[in-house]
This record gives sequence, C-alpha cells and structure tokens, in this order.
Amino acid sequence: MINVKGLKKSFGKNEVLTGIDVEIAQGEVVVVIGPSGSGKSTFLRCLNLLEQPTAGEIYFEDELITQRKYDIDNARKKMGMVFQHFNLFPHKTILQNLTLAPIKVKKTNPAEAEKIAMELLHTVGLEDKRDTYPNQLSGGQKQRIAIARALAMQPHVMLFDEPTSALDPEMVGEVLEVMQKLAHEGMTMVIVTHEMGFAREVGDRIIFMDGGQIVEQGPPEQVFGAPTHPRTQDFLSKVL
Amino acid sequence: MLFFTVIPLASAAQDNQKVITVGLSADFPPYEFHKKIDGTDQIVGSDVEIAKRIAADMGATLQIQDIPFDSLLPALNSGRIDMIISGMTPTEERRQNVDFSESYYISRQVIMTRVEDKDKYTSVDSLQGASIGVQKGSIQEGIAKDIKDAKLTSVDRIADIVLSLESGRVDAAVMEGPVAEGQVANHDDLAITSATIPDSDTEMAIAVKKGNAELLGHINGTLAKLKQGDQVKKFVQDATALNSGEQQKSNNIFTIFWDYRQYYMKGIQYTLLLSAAGVLFGFLIGLVVSLFRLSNVGILRWIAVTYTEILRGTPMLVQLLIIHYGIAQTFHIEFSVLESGIITLSINSSAYLAEIFRAGIQGVDRGQMEAARSLGMSHGMTMRSIIIPQAVKSVLPAIGNEFVVIIKESSIVSFIGVADLMFQAQAVRSITYSALNPLLIAAAIYFIMTFVLSKLLGMLERRWSVSDKR
Repeated sequence: MINVKGLKKSFGKNEVLTGIDVEIAQGEVVVVIGPSGSGKSTFLRCLNLLEQPTAGEIYFEDELITQRKYDIDNARKKMGMVFQHFNLFPHKTILQNLTLAPIKVKKTNPAEAEKIAMELLHTVGLEDKRDTYPNQLSGGQKQRIAIARALAMQPHVMLFDEPTSALDPEMVGEVLEVMQKLAHEGMTMVIVTHEMGFAREVGDRIIFMDGGQIVEQGPPEQVFGAPTHPRTQDFLSKVL
Repeated sequence: MLFFTVIPLASAAQDNQKVITVGLSADFPPYEFHKKIDGTDQIVGSDVEIAKRIAADMGATLQIQDIPFDSLLPALNSGRIDMIISGMTPTEERRQNVDFSESYYISRQVIMTRVEDKDKYTSVDSLQGASIGVQKGSIQEGIAKDIKDAKLTSVDRIADIVLSLESGRVDAAVMEGPVAEGQVANHDDLAITSATIPDSDTEMAIAVKKGNAELLGHINGTLAKLKQGDQVKKFVQDATALNSGEQQKSNNIFTIFWDYRQYYMKGIQYTLLLSAAGVLFGFLIGLVVSLFRLSNVGILRWIAVTYTEILRGTPMLVQLLIIHYGIAQTFHIEFSVLESGIITLSINSSAYLAEIFRAGIQGVDRGQMEAARSLGMSHGMTMRSIIIPQAVKSVLPAIGNEFVVIIKESSIVSFIGVADLMFQAQAVRSITYSALNPLLIAAAIYFIMTFVLSKLLGMLERRWSVSDKR
C-alpha cells in the first residue's frame, strides 16, 4: 500500500532522514519507536508530504506521490492523520469538525456527511458533544474527536504522530482503546508512539529508528523480546 | 465606490442645464460666509452675489464649493471648479498659474489688534518685531512678510487668527478692511488701529483656469455691467449689513450647540459614514494585501510591502490631496469630495489593517494548516475556512481600535470640503464669530463617539470570548 524507497530529508544542513526503505502492506499495523530526534515523526510526516522529502520516492497505492506534478490533495484524502496536539478547528463545532472536509473535499452531501459523522462519534463515545466546541473538551476527548475527524474522510490508511504524548496519563487509555478498536477492524495504521506496551500489543511490526534510519524491525516479540542491535537493546533497556 | 454624489452646499444641477461651479473659502465676511437663513445653512456674501449674476447671464446653474483658501488654486487647476471668486488678489505668482478677470473690487488692508493695544500699533513701523497673524496663502501674508522683523503666524482660517489674537499668541493681524470690521463688530475685545498700510490697496479678481478665454469673456461681460452703477460696492454693503444684522445672541457653548445642532448632526452623519466605509473597504483591501504579503510569489509580496510601507510612511493629508487633486489633474478621473475622502481613508486604514491581519494569520497555530491539509483540503480552501476566520476573530479588537482611530483621523477630509464634523465646526466658527466654542463642541462629540464605540466593542469582545475559553 505504501512503498518508500531511499527517503532522505534534510532541514538546512541537518540531515534528519538518511535513507529509508520500507513497505507497508494493506491492513498492517506498523509502530515506529525510537529515541527523540531519531527522525520517526519526520518519517511519518513525509508519508503524506507534510514534509517535502529531499530525496527518494514514495508510492501510495501504486502512485508515485513524490513526482513533481502530483496533486497531493488526492492522496491525502485517503490518508488520515492524527497529531500530537489534536489540531481541532476551534471555531467549528465537533460535528462541523467532522463534516467539513467530507463536504468540501469529497463533495459528500451534508446529510450523508452528518450521518457518517454521527456513527463515528458513536464509535468514539462522544455523540453528546456534537454541538459543543473543542475548547470545552478534555485532552483525551479532543484526541478521540481528532481520530473521528480523520476517519470521517474514510481513509485507506491512518497515520498517528505521537497521539498520546500531550495527554494527561489518565486520558491515555481512552485514546489507545479507540486505536486498538480501529486496528482490530483491519485499518492500515502507521503509529509513532512512546507507549511500548501498546506497541507490543497492537503492532504487527515494530520499526526501531535511530539517527535517521531504520536500525531494526520485525514482529513485536522479536524486537521487544530479542533485539539484535545494540542500539535497540540500549533504547529498550531505558524505556522498559 | 460611487454611491454618493456631491455634498449639500451645492444646489442640485439639472440634467440638461449647464452648471458652473464656483470655489470660495466661505469664512470671509462680508465677501463670502456661512449664514443660517430660515434654519438652513447657506453660503452668502458679495462674491456669491457676483457669482449668481455671472451664472444668470450665462444661463447656467450655480454650484458653490466651500474650500480652504490655499486649496482653491489646485481645485481650479484640477478642474473641480470652474472659477474662484473668493476675494482673491491677482498677484504675479498667481497669474502664472491661472488667468484673472478684470478687477471687480478694491479693498484696503487694516491692522486688527486687541482693544488695549489699539494705540500701540498706530503705524506699520510700530509693528516691527511684533508677532502677526495672517491667513495662509493670502495677500495679507505677503504684506506682513514685508514688515521688518515681524514674526508671522500663518493659519487656515480667520477664526484661528481671532483666537490667536484673543489668546495673546499674536499681537496683531493684517486683514481686509470689511473682514476686520465684521470681526470687530462681534468681538468686544478686538479693535482696528488707525495705522494705514502704504501701497496695500488690493484688487480682487475672478480666477479661471489658464486659457479658458470663453468663460473669462462671460465673466468680464457681467463685471462690466455690474461696474456701471457701482453694484459691487452695494453688494458689499448689503452683505456687511446681513452679516452684522442678526448677531449671535450669546456665545455660550450650550446656546451655540443648540442653535447649530443641525450642523453638528449632519457632520456626525458624514463622519460616521466616512469612518464606517473606510473601515469596511479598508478591511477588504487589507485582507487581500495581507494575503499578498504572505504569498509565496515574490512579486506579490513586493507589491504588498511597497503598498503598506508607502501608505504608512506618508501623511494621510498628503494622500488625500494627491487623490483628490492630483488624480483629477493627471488622469482626469474626478472623484467627488466624499469619494476622495472614503478612498483615502480606505487605503490608509487598509495598510494598517493588512499588518494587523498578517499578525493574525501568522498567529494561527501551524497545526491548523497541517490538520486541514492532511484532510485533503487545498491551501486556498484551508485559508478561507480555517485560517482566515480564526485570524479575523483574533484581530477583531484591533480592527475595532482602527475604527476608533479612523473616526478621529477622518477629520482631515474637511480639508477638501467634505461636510464632516470638523468641517461643520469650522462653518459654525465663521458664522458665530466664536472661535473656540464650536471646536470644543466638536471635540466633545468626537470624544463621545469614540468612547461609546470603545465601550461597545469591549462588550462585544467579552461576549465573543465566552465561547472561546481555552
């Protein structure tokens, strides 16, 4: 579904990604872990071109999205993204947050968009918040809405950029629960996180990144249970 | 931007009839001055009578525009008015710019001073070293300049000279005889000295645009008729009588306000209209300019930066005069005074609002753009539905503040003759001979408008912020 070849990204002289090759299959849940500054968020943000890669190729559903004239909005419609800081639209109600992009981008008719939105609000357990504004929600609620907002576009893949890092500890659970449900439903997901327990539980594959490249990857039991690379061992010994 | 036509003072022009527009500085009794007749403001005086005769002889409808004296020549040259009849003396300098008719009246110049100084300045020589008030751009200014060691204070309005005399800021004023007589009759503390100014008799003539021989022919024809039988002198006498006839009963500030409340009401309407239009158009233009400023296209950024820097780096008065007179003269586009006023206020405030918007747009969290783009929304769509609404909301207090600023700054449009609050205050000054009180009334009204508006905006802001606690 996503195929990354020789991906590099520099900010000025600082090379953040030094060459990444990875393939993500339909229905796969890939969890990216690694120390701060290892480039894992940048990698994720390159996948929908929120960061423009310096070199390399990214294919999404067999289309080369890094080619010059490619209309990236077309790919983004099918790639949902959830941010560390939620980024809900504060001047829109919860319902409007969910229906805005479907109506504007996919030209879904408003009644249909609202129906989908209400189903999603039900899924994340926040139907009663439909007419409130984001500022009246707790952090955990905001992030659940943000997930619902991305899902409202009915994407083929979901990208999560440290979705629980900005949350109070007691709210982490409710967000992970929603993500877990999503994984069980077969959604293709790429998740950057520091929640190792969660990674181990839902991940089909764990990617350990350090220094702008993939150091080690494999099924969770292998990466967490028997890491082969010393840097992986070192990292895991600190966080577990 | 063309919803409004010219200003009250002018009589309406009929469609198929020729219109002749005379410009004058209506603070110069008995030649031209404002007078409340049957409850409405009119511009009257001997020059107005002459203008009426000229128009009648030509079979044209007369329009009068009240313009500050030193703006009369630019108004004539830019084609906004057809002739100047404003007690103007044909000096060499002026002859280089415009053509003059035969002279229609000769006036003498006198020295006006405070009563207690009446015997101090009995000759021109006694004025040496004294400070002297004159009207800017007037022939008296030239005379006063020739007085040795004199310190000149040049002001726009006769009323300002009176105020300067009464407050002791100047010791004496050089003025036309009949003008000074009108002032002395209304101010007990002023007097005309016995001094005579040699070679100071000055002719008055009518100015037309250079080369307008046809109009000049008509004018000279009418003047020749008037000269037989000394008509002009009679006009001046009648106007002097009219001027002193019904004097202000009391110069009490409340009496003035009550008697001239219609002037002030009309002025408030114009001031509010100008300010509201200025902020509205300034808002729209400013938004576009701020988007240019934040654009990725270099040339658009350059245009926006140049636009804002020039508009913020030059005085609004200069912009106003360039738009009103300069554009008319260069491109032959004639805006009415109100249009010129609105255009100036709009573009001027747009430059400030553009900077406010820029700060507002840049102040919107980057994550908002990323979130919207990640949903597949285009850049333009994101700006319209996500970024700009938030930016505008966050800068609303600053926009309200700009509205308050513009209410005050709009007062400069009185320079080109928009009948705003300041203009009306000046009119009341020249009618009542009260130099200060009409200004105090205007100040009070400006203050009330800005104060009330600030309070209203504050309430609005608090109501909005209720739904916006973070």
